[in-house]
Amino acid sequence: MAEVLPIATMLLVLAGTFFSVLGVTGYVRLPDVYTRLHATGKVTVFGAVFLLFAAMAWTPRGLGKGLVVIALLLLAGPVTAHALASAAYHIGIPLTHAVRDDLAAKALAQVGRGPIQEADLAAGLVEDNS
Amino acid sequence: MNTATTLLAITLYGALIVHIGLVSVALWRLWRGKNIIDRLTGFDLISILTVAILIVMALIERDSIYLDVALGLAALGFVGTIALAKYVADDQLF
Amino acid sequence: MAYWMILGLWLLYLALTSNLEPGNLVIGLMLATALTLLLRPQPARLDWRRAPMALLALGRYAAVVIRDAWRSGIGVARILINPELPIAPGIIAVPSGCTSELATALSAHAITLAPGEMVIAIDRDGVMYTHALDTAHSAEFIAQTQALRRHLLSKIFR
Repeated sequence: MAEVLPIATMLLVLAGTFFSVLGVTGYVRLPDVYTRLHATGKVTVFGAVFLLFAAMAWTPRGLGKGLVVIALLLLAGPVTAHALASAAYHIGIPLTHAVRDDLAAKALAQVGRGPIQEADLAAGLVEDNS
Repeated sequence: MNTATTLLAITLYGALIVHIGLVSVALWRLWRGKNIIDRLTGFDLISILTVAILIVMALIERDSIYLDVALGLAALGFVGTIALAKYVADDQLF
Repeated sequence: MAYWMILGLWLLYLALTSNLEPGNLVIGLMLATALTLLLRPQPARLDWRRAPMALLALGRYAAVVIRDAWRSGIGVARILINPELPIAPGIIAVPSGCTSELATALSAHAITLAPGEMVIAIDRDGVMYTHALDTAHSAEFIAQTQALRRHLLSKIFR
């Protein structure tokens, strides 16, 4: 029964490494800034969280510290991704291959030109002010 | 030192090597970044990967002091990325 | 008195030192109290009869958020492994439906935590403009999960 802890730790480390590799793969493969942020900001955080689970199980006195670091990473990851995406949109980096862009549609609708997309009206996502 | 522990040690050193390789790939991609947000993303990615390396070190040494270092590094990387993103968006820090 | 802040700081100290000897417990309590007296936070109005239900809802909320993040993590992993990279990125408008700004911000955090969805901007009406890797799938997924989140958040904050 003494074998359970090392084996569980090993599986967690493998899962964490897998997600880290996935995050860097996404950073290299994905086409534009916004899609890349999905891979780096969150998938890599998942990898670190799995490694922390392993550390909580395997390291003596690592339980509390691991919990604190997990809480920090899960709070900070989305905030970082949002800050970077917001800055990117603010300085006008374009989206590539976008199938729809409700934010641009809204900006156009507010200046009084440009159509609100019909699909959004039908779904009730945008109010028809006209 | 039984079989499971040996397997775990091999896995941990493998994970360490893989993570260091990932940092070098991310650095290479950061070097070829197309715009500033792209490079900031790479910076953030490298800071999280460094945190992951420190956690693997904690696992290898079975010493939780590395987790404290990881906590500090994660907090610093977070604040740094937020500050730089704000600077890029508003042309000022505060 | 802000008992909640003393309790939180104490627990944080104990988690970081990972040492449950009586002396360390006392030192942690003293430090937490001193720090709280120094910072003087806004006194929070706690309704003690509602607190257990709110805590229960908070636990369920955390579990739901982690589960959703896990589910979309699997989805994004599938996309990234696939050699054809089947993405259809786009920005969709998601009404949060929450009245308070804090609840809207928490919803935005939960959505952004899930890989594949990322809130870019929030306007005054609480509409979250969400960038998604797989637009059609994410629109459905967010609409589904946001209803549950709104329900739980309304229980937590009233």
